[in-house]
Parts: sequence; C-alpha cells; structure tokens
Amino acid sequence: MKVSLFITCLSDALFPRVGEAIVRLLAKRGVKVDFPPAQTCCGQPAFNSGYWNEARASAKTIIEAFEDSDFVISPSGSCTGMIQHYPKLFENDPVMHARAIGLQRKSYEFTQFLVNVLDVTDVGASFPYKVTYHPSCHGSRLLGVKDEPMALMQAVKGLEFVPLPFAEDCCGFGGTFAVKMADISGAMVTEKADHVKETEAQVLVGLDLACLMNIAGNLRYRGEPVRVMHLAELLYEGVAGA
Amino acid sequence: MADRTHTRTQSLLLSHQEWLAQLAEESLAKQKTFIDGISSKLRRPRAHTPPQHPYRGAPDFWRTFEWSEQERIERFTDHFKSAGGHVVRLSNMDAVKQFITEKATELSAKYIVRQNQQELDDLGLEKALPDARVSTWNSDAAEAWKARAAEADIGVVVADCAAAYTGSITVMSSKDKGRSVSLLPTVLLAIIPVERLKTRLGEVLIRFDEAGRENLPAGIHFISGPSRSADIENDLTIGVHGPGIVYALIVG
Amino acid sequence: MSGHGQGTAPATVKDRADLALNDEFLRKAVKFTTERLRAGKKNAAEDHGNWDDWRERGRQIRLHTIANLDYYLNLFADNARANGVHVHFADTAAEAVKLSLDIARHAQAKTVVKSKSMVTEELHLNQALATIGVEAIETDLGEYIIQLANETPSHIIIPAIHKNRYQIAELLSKEAGETLAPDTQILAGFVRKKLREKFLEADIGMTGCNFAIAETGSMVLFENEGNARMVTTVPKTQITLMGMERIIPSWEDLEVMATLLPRSATGQKLTVYMSGITGPKRAADADGPEEMHIVIVDNGRSLQLGDPEFQELLNCIRCGACLNACPVYRHIGGHAYGGTYSGPIGAVLTPALKKNVAEWDDIANASSLCGACYEACPVKIPLHEMLIYLRRRKVEAGEGKLLEGLGMKGFASIMKNAGRFKTVLKLGKLGQKLVARGGEIRLKAGPLKGWNSYRITPSLPKQSFRDKWKTLEEEIRHGLQELDPAAKARMEALVKEREQEGGGHGHG
Repeated sequence: MKVSLFITCLSDALFPRVGEAIVRLLAKRGVKVDFPPAQTCCGQPAFNSGYWNEARASAKTIIEAFEDSDFVISPSGSCTGMIQHYPKLFENDPVMHARAIGLQRKSYEFTQFLVNVLDVTDVGASFPYKVTYHPSCHGSRLLGVKDEPMALMQAVKGLEFVPLPFAEDCCGFGGTFAVKMADISGAMVTEKADHVKETEAQVLVGLDLACLMNIAGNLRYRGEPVRVMHLAELLYEGVAGA
Repeated sequence: MADRTHTRTQSLLLSHQEWLAQLAEESLAKQKTFIDGISSKLRRPRAHTPPQHPYRGAPDFWRTFEWSEQERIERFTDHFKSAGGHVVRLSNMDAVKQFITEKATELSAKYIVRQNQQELDDLGLEKALPDARVSTWNSDAAEAWKARAAEADIGVVVADCAAAYTGSITVMSSKDKGRSVSLLPTVLLAIIPVERLKTRLGEVLIRFDEAGRENLPAGIHFISGPSRSADIENDLTIGVHGPGIVYALIVG
Repeated sequence: MSGHGQGTAPATVKDRADLALNDEFLRKAVKFTTERLRAGKKNAAEDHGNWDDWRERGRQIRLHTIANLDYYLNLFADNARANGVHVHFADTAAEAVKLSLDIARHAQAKTVVKSKSMVTEELHLNQALATIGVEAIETDLGEYIIQLANETPSHIIIPAIHKNRYQIAELLSKEAGETLAPDTQILAGFVRKKLREKFLEADIGMTGCNFAIAETGSMVLFENEGNARMVTTVPKTQITLMGMERIIPSWEDLEVMATLLPRSATGQKLTVYMSGITGPKRAADADGPEEMHIVIVDNGRSLQLGDPEFQELLNCIRCGACLNACPVYRHIGGHAYGGTYSGPIGAVLTPALKKNVAEWDDIANASSLCGACYEACPVKIPLHEMLIYLRRRKVEAGEGKLLEGLGMKGFASIMKNAGRFKTVLKLGKLGQKLVARGGEIRLKAGPLKGWNSYRITPSLPKQSFRDKWKTLEEEIRHGLQELDPAAKARMEALVKEREQEGGGHGHG
C-alpha cells in the first residue's frame, strides 16, 4: 500500500520541518511515507483568482504525480480542500474527471488520516504548554475537520488547551486576497492576533501553514512572543521530548 | 371626489375604473410573455400541471411534535414574556372582565376600542367602565374607525388562534374585526381561549391551506409581543409603531 | 466616513473599504451589531435543534419553487388577481418605476408611506417618486433615519447600523425643530409621533414582500415595528413590489421559512409581526386598502435561471445572516460594497443581476473565500463558490488584469513541472539574500508592500523539503515500526471500497 505525502508548495519551500514531522510521526506508526517528486502546487491561487486553465495545468500535474498512490496525505486542509474542486475543473473532460474523483477519494488532511484511518489519537506526546487552536476555514468548513485535532490535542500530556475566542473567523489570508485587498486582510489578521493574545496562550497551533504564516507574521510584527506551530510539529516535538 | 382637481385630472386621464381595466388587460398579456420567458430560461416547455413537491412543509419529525395543554400554556407564557409581552392566566370570562376593568382603570384609559365579537359583547365593558368611551369596531358605518382606533388607549381582541412554540397570537380580519384594533392603540389586550392555543405555528398555518383562497380573510396577523426596534445602536425600544404594551389573557 | 451620500462614493471596493477601515466608529458599530446578531442566530438555531435538517428542508423548498417558477408564479398571479389584486409584471427597473409612478399619479398621491423594501432600493423608487412631486417616507425606524441623512442602507436587517445615537439625535432634532436628547426612548418616541401623522394622511402604502404564497395569492411580511402593518392597513392604496423569486407554494411551506428567516436574521423565534395579506379589504371591512397592486419585478433575476452556477442565488430569503458571519463585511461595512445589497450576498447578487462582466472582479475580490457565508446561510447558498465562478467568468471574458494574467500563466508553467518549481525556489533563495535578515523579511516594497505592512515574512530556509527528502527517507527506512494490523486492514478495506464504488463522492 502506497501512502504518499502531498507536501504542498508552502511547506516544501518555507516549512520543510512540518513535512518532516509528518513523515517521522507516521513512521513511528509503521506507515512508510513516499514522496512523489513530480508534485508541485495544488493550483488554488489560480483557481480562486478565476484562472481555471492555469489551475487545470497544476491539477493535472498533481493528479499524475499521485496516480499510483493509495493514500495522499497533506499538512493542509486548504490544499486537500482544493483537490475536492478538481472534478469541477474537469467536468467537461470525462477521462480527467474520473481521475480527479479518484484523487479526491484518496486524499486526506493529516489529522483526518491519523485519527480516522489509523485510529490514533494518542501519539504518546507530552507538551507542557498553554496552547490555543485556530481552525482554518477550508479544513473545518470544506473538509469538516473539527473533532480530529481536538482529540489529538486532548491526548497530549501536560498540554493546557485554551479556546480561541471567535475561533471560526477567517484569519484574513485568502491567498491573493491578502495582496489584492491588503488593508482588509490586515485588519482581519490583526483582529485574529488580538484574539490569540487574549487567550494568553504560549503556543498557537493550526492545520494550515498559510493561515499560520499569516497570523505568525502579524504576531511577530507586533513583537508578540507567541510560538506558532503546525499541529504535526507540536506532536512530533512532544513525542521526541517525551 | 367631485372637486376641481379631480375634474381636471379626469380630463387628462381615463376614468379610474377604465384605467384599471386597461392595466388588467396589459397585465394579462404581459403575464404570458413573462412566464413564457421563465420557462424558456429554464430550458423546457411551460409547466401547466402542479409539479410534484415532495418537500412540502416542515420536516416529518416536526409534524407529530405536540405539547400537553399545561406545557403549551407554560411555553407560550415563557416565550411571550421573553419578547416583552405580559401573560395572565384567567379561569373564565368573568375573570377576564374583571382584569380588563381593573387594567383600564389603572391606566386611566379614556378610549377603548374592541372588536365586534360576541364574547366581547358579553363582557359588558361599556357598563363596567362608565368613565371610558368603549367603541365597538365597525358598529356604525358613518364612523371613522381608523381614527377611533388610532386615538384609543386600549384595543381589545379575541385571538383566533395562538402558537406556543413561537409565542404568537393570530388575529384575522373581517367586517367585525378590524386590523387597526390590534395595531393602533397604545395597549393591546388579546384574549386567548385556551383551546385555541396550539403547539406549533404549522398547526395554525395549515388551516389556511385547507380553507383555500376563497375563504381567507384580507388580513392574517401573527403577533408575538410588543412592537419593537433595535435600529438605534442596538438598543431595544418598545412600542415603535404598534402597541408597546401587550397582554395575552389565556382563559379557560 | 459614516456611510456615503448617494452617488458620491469612490469607484472601487478597495477605495471604499479603505475609507471604512479608517472610520473607527463605523468598524466598532458594525462589529458590535454583527457579533450580537451572529450570537443570537447561533443560540436560536441551537435552541430550536436539528438546524441542519431545517436548512436542508428550506433549501429543498426554494430549489423546488425556483425550478418550477413558471408554474408557481403564474399560479400566484392568477390567485392574487382572483383576490382582487391588480397584478403587474416588470421586466426591468424602468418598467417597475413607470408602473409605480402611474399608480401614484392615478391615486393623486401626495405622500407614500413605505415599509422596508430592498426591491424599491434597487429601483431607486423614492427618487423617482420625488420627480413627480410625491413624497416617499420610509417608516422603518432605521430606514427613516438614513432617509433623513440622505444615505442608503448598509445592512439588510439593520439599515442604520453605521450611525450612532448622537448622529441620529442630530438628524431627528433638525426634523423636530427642537433639540432631542440622544436617548433611544426619546428618539424613537419622536419618530412614533411624527410617523403616526404621516401614516394617517398618506395616500399610498408601499411595501416589499418577504414571501408570496402561490396557492392562495397571499403576500407575507415579517417585521418587528408594526410599520408594515400600518402601511398595509391605513392608506387607501397599497402597492407591493416583489422580486419575481419571492414565491413559495403554500402556507405549510411558510412554516419552514418562518422557522429559518427570523432565527437567521435576528435570533428571534418569530418576528413580532408576521402578516399574510390576501387581497384588498373586503367590501364590508372598515380598514385595509381599497385598492391593492402587486408589481412583480424581474430586473436581472431571470438571468440566473438555467445557469447551473447561479440559479441558487434566487433561493435567498434576505435574512442577512451572511453579512453577520462575514469577517470582511465586519471590517468594511455595507457601503463599501457599492450596491443595493451588501456583504457576501451583495458581492454575488449585484454583479449577477447586472450580468455586467466589467464590474464583477472588483466586488468579487473582496472576499477571503472563507465560507462563513455558506455555513450561515439558512438555505445553503454556496456563495463562496459563486464568488470564484464570478472571477472565472471575468477572466474568460477577457476582463482580467493583464499583469495578473501573465502572472498566472507563469504560475501555470512553473507548477506543471516540478523541475521548474525547484529552479524557482533556488532563484528565490538567491534573491532573498538582498532582503532577508535573521530568517525574516521586513521589506515594505514591491509585491510584499501590502503584506508586510501588517506582518513579517519568513525567509526561505536553506533546504526545501524536496532537498531534504533523500536523507530523510534513508533515516526513516532504518527505524520503521510495524504497522498496526487493524489499521492495515482498515486501509485495505478503504482501497477496496473505492475500487468497488468507482466514481462518486469523496470520503468527506
């Protein structure tokens, strides 16, 4: 059985440690992860901006890269969510449409795979810090990933969970939105970081690096010492230190 | 209507009835093209027979939902009160008469307008409140009834129905039941015979389907508390246009 | 800015949003109100229970009605006419205005009292009435306030959301000819008294329509103040303007709408008043309109019919829940959207009604596509997807920005080939040497200008994941554990299940 990592371009380029954490965590569970090097970006920036021909080019690359994988795991609810749109992208191409559905059905966000497929909630981690959680929009709304990260965090020893006020509000990233509507996006991320501050948490975790980079960027800009991590990083650090 | 303005307008325009007839003719012609336009945009021939509507009304689990009489009274009371209304439980119409008399005296009501309903005739408010002027809706064709209702301190109605789940009173218009009586006075007193208090809104609404178009009154009004607004800084204001004080008197 | 006078707003969403973002009061007021309404809705939905079943039912009723709109609208018109209503059809805003003005002229009207109607806002009917010397008076408290300020509504449910009590006291004092204290009770009390006179002397009452019941030809209004009841009870003539899609089949269906609409709008179990009006007053009645007109308005609505990506827009019941849920709306307020309808529904509806490709992109771009609108919608309209469709149609129509188009072509050429992607990463690492310090980029210029005005950007690490993979894979191979047999069985079962089912939906 072939379990492949869909690293996503953001994690590949900027946050390789997140991909590494996933690979190592899964290895501890006996899952040998494979990395098809032909993969690139899911195409979401082009798709969301209305450039569907360009998005199709990306989508085709991804579909081909994972053609013979049985499970495709990504550290991003948003990028896995983008794969859910692939069938719509190829609705006029029956062959590609079928292949898109094939990929859709085997794609999992990391915590979905860990909790729902491997049936693991306790990875044996210990992390004695005050932690809050931002549920990214696409992961929670599009994929319905809500309980999985909660279950994983609950099982971490020493972790003190503080709920984030207005947690479900978008952080203001929205891809090209953050550039095109920079001031609206800026107001949104500022509000989100205010809420993070309110919790007095030492660590903010999430499941989407784009959102985390956005919030962390604002917290850093304001000199706030909150540490921002992907949940996979937290779990791996917690296992390594346990 | 025989004033000069009208004569002048008439010379410019068709008579009102002629004009309406002309509009009706235009409307019928336009209806055909308008509706045909919809069919063609829906990319199919015009549908003339009722389509299958498998999702009509509330979900199935809701249709059998029913509270006991005691629960209906309790829930109605909770809901109506939380919307800012008052609820009084009274055992019979004598108690209703006593309550209304006392309330009118307490509020020093000078003008009271009531619906022309047998139950209200029987109360004999006119005699019980000699210092107030109690008028019966539409009892005199020459009277300006909307003005009477507008100046009234209190309006008294008997509800046609009520729904506990939403805390709503239903009143229907007729020759004897003015819409104004439940709307224009400062205070509204609505008598609800307990057997008319249902659980769900749907129990009331389905009657209008069953009655059919020809049998519906011009106005059907659901009232769920005093008139309110939160348009100024979200600050709740009571009695913006309709009655600011509303009593539901559950009787029986 | 505290809202804009009609016709004086800057041209782009971005510029209007900038004005709003710099208005501290506006942002606070909108935030406070939307948060309150959002919490109210959440509580009401939870309290009612089975909310998703009700949403689904509401959606099905709306889908069914719109899919058979020719049948139901025709039935409604026939029944309303049988009730004694003068029914009219208007393809365009201009036709609807002409009909309304004709009716006003024939009624020899001097004043029209109006209850809240978004359709009449769409038609700019008040201004049109003024041109023939008829005064239109908004009677919803919030609408009355913004009419005095010569502004447009900035929220479907709370039109004067952007005004504070001091501003309102100033407006009303001018109207009263005396100084009114900025106290809600005093201000509302003045409006009650003032508008009472207007109701009693008005020649025409004008309303919108929340729902129109096809089987009995009745029109239904939801409101809290009682002004819509006034408007449909006191004046001699009633004119109702309704969007052609306001139809539902029956009173039974109204229960579902009455369950969804007030809870989604304000968190109420039901609005204080829900009125079903079936024709003008009966001959023997002593109140109610003697003459009743219903103008059925298309004005771009039918353009959505038969368009699989946008037909569901017609399911909207105008509750405003998407505005309250939207983080963008919360920061920029309603006027920034620049149309009659604001928030997520406005961002889609405004361009969709006009089918005006050139105007699409600007409004559609003011969204982070977070999907909160869809989640809040009581009839489950996928507004976040429609925004993407709008953007795509603009690109397809050749209305995209040249630079962006080139950028996206470049993006595609990189992303369809992992080798090129790797080269770009290498170039990035080289390029950032000029601007990165200590793992951070703070430069506020070029493409990072807007982003870095609010954030610090991390720089590219020495090795990307793909650079590290070889070493990582080696390490993993050595320390690999045994896969739990139960997990293995589950995985195999999943793969088998997929093979058996073939196509179809994801695992959700």
